[in-house]
Amino acid sequence: MPAAVFRQDEEPRLRELLDAMERPVELVVALGPEETPLPGAGDFDFSAETVKIVEALAALSGRVTSRVEQQPEWVPRFPAVLVLPAGEDVGLRYYGTPYGYELASLVGAVLEAGRPTPSLAPESLERLAAVDRDLAIDIFVTPT
Amino acid sequence: MLLAYKAALASPRVSAAAIEAGEFPRLADEMNVWAVPSIAVNGVPQWDGAVRERLFLERVLAPSFG
Repeated sequence: MPAAVFRQDEEPRLRELLDAMERPVELVVALGPEETPLPGAGDFDFSAETVKIVEALAALSGRVTSRVEQQPEWVPRFPAVLVLPAGEDVGLRYYGTPYGYELASLVGAVLEAGRPTPSLAPESLERLAAVDRDLAIDIFVTPT
Repeated sequence: MLLAYKAALASPRVSAAAIEAGEFPRLADEMNVWAVPSIAVNGVPQWDGAVRERLFLERVLAPSFG
């Protein structure tokens, strides 16, 4: 992973987008014992990298804040990033280190959380508003 | 991934988590993850691959869940 989290040429646009968010977003990095990753991870410090990425994102705009929590009991695996729109936990999680292609997922989650209404089609919003049972969506991803 | 996050933001009954398969290989193995993105709902593996909004919601909101 390069030293800088964001490319210099993409920072201005990102700052602009984050500054324009209608509600603030808080990022909580939850750290604790990690599972042994697949071979090839080498000396990569997943927890330290996750903190670095989240802090770099928060440093871009006053609309994003971040904090680190050690082993919160309500988080099943570490590291994790919780995305809280206006400080409220609505169930947005990233388990692991959001680097590579997955950095865009974290940025996208923050930008969506900063909107008063998610950018979905009106009929999608209607269908989701009518959901009357708990649905936990897990999406397995890789950063490369 | 973003569609799942949007769905969670649109409904208090929906939550969404991205899970980095390489960092959590045991869980990925239990969930039979072979390709990414791999989607599970309420702990049950569903499908692999990105789909458009309409199909994503059709599958996630299928009556068999919950």
